[in-house]
Amino acid sequence: MSAGFRAVQWNRTKLVYDAILVAGVMLYIGSYLILAHWLDPPKDLLAAVDQRIRAFGSCAFIMVTIILCIGPLARLDRRFLPLLYNRRHFGVLTFLVALVHVGFMLEWYALQNALPSLYDEFTKLSDYAKFIGFPFKALGLAALVILFLMAATSHDFWLAFLTPPVWKGLHMTLYVAYGLIVMHVALGVLQYDRNPLIPGMLIVGFAAVTGLHLLAGWRERAGDRCAVSSGEGWLKVAPPLAIPDKGARIITGPDGERIAVFRDGSEIGALSNLCAHQNGPIGEGRIIDGCVTCPWHGYQYRLVDGCAPPPFTEKLATYRVRVSHGVVEVDPRPLPPGTPASIRI
Amino acid sequence: MRRAHRSAHRALWPVLALAVALGLGMALVLRPPPDPATPQGTEAPKS
Repeated sequence: MSAGFRAVQWNRTKLVYDAILVAGVMLYIGSYLILAHWLDPPKDLLAAVDQRIRAFGSCAFIMVTIILCIGPLARLDRRFLPLLYNRRHFGVLTFLVALVHVGFMLEWYALQNALPSLYDEFTKLSDYAKFIGFPFKALGLAALVILFLMAATSHDFWLAFLTPPVWKGLHMTLYVAYGLIVMHVALGVLQYDRNPLIPGMLIVGFAAVTGLHLLAGWRERAGDRCAVSSGEGWLKVAPPLAIPDKGARIITGPDGERIAVFRDGSEIGALSNLCAHQNGPIGEGRIIDGCVTCPWHGYQYRLVDGCAPPPFTEKLATYRVRVSHGVVEVDPRPLPPGTPASIRI
Repeated sequence: MRRAHRSAHRALWPVLALAVALGLGMALVLRPPPDPATPQGTEAPKS
């Protein structure tokens, strides 16, 4: 659980997640190739390689689309949280699938001894001024570089080395990669292949990503309003029993950062809403085995002082809490991480 | 996510989404008519 550098720890959940991922990819690519072979038997090796290019390319596009949908889906419905647990492996596998797509593309050129013409496509600067005719492979290559950077820095070592805010910022460039991939397809295969499944895949995928993000963003907006102040700078939360047992109410402080106010039976405590691991929304988690548990990857902290249980060393900032006139209130000035601050009611 | 990440996400995401929607729409509208003499998917440069 520590953010320090250590060997990847496998557990049954991760193995099951990865097995389902790999099986899903194999099923998709296998089905695609069988169906394509049946509907349009390849006349030569070149046509067979072309089908592989499309199979792996469309698979990578669908995988990136699903990855981008996981975040808002998990926000909208907790049942999707397990998908988020090992999302990084999903991303690494997507990079590998995209890499195979590029490998077959190179083979397609190599079979015709046409690799120099591929070089020409990238270096013909006048084409970069066009819209239709833009070197779409350059867009795909740029997306592949982003996917590589994300895959290469996906380990917790890089998360700890770069710090969660920088790491998160880097990994948010997946949105840029997605835009590049959509345009790679739109200016590439869409221009010369009239198969309606291609625009259908693009439009449905893009609509799903944007629609889910808009919906999740709309639901989140209310959470960004600063909580009502009691007049002494303390923020009103709710009556104690209105805070779900083993759960939290999330409020926003005057600086815009969120505070998670948990209740565990008769104990109430307030912690920073940012998990020390990936800055996940700790307030959307639950109290499990006496510890506040992050919904993203299961990092745990004691409610009393925000410290991870031994032997782990992560600490969260805590906040002073009190009950005034039957309402739980929080002092929005954070205490040093690990400071005991919970109260009994 | 920190407030800064939420703000950046909310500011940049719609711009990117609009740019991609516009690009995708233009790519659909401006694509050349199909050439009946060319078998689909075998003649054009591959991605």
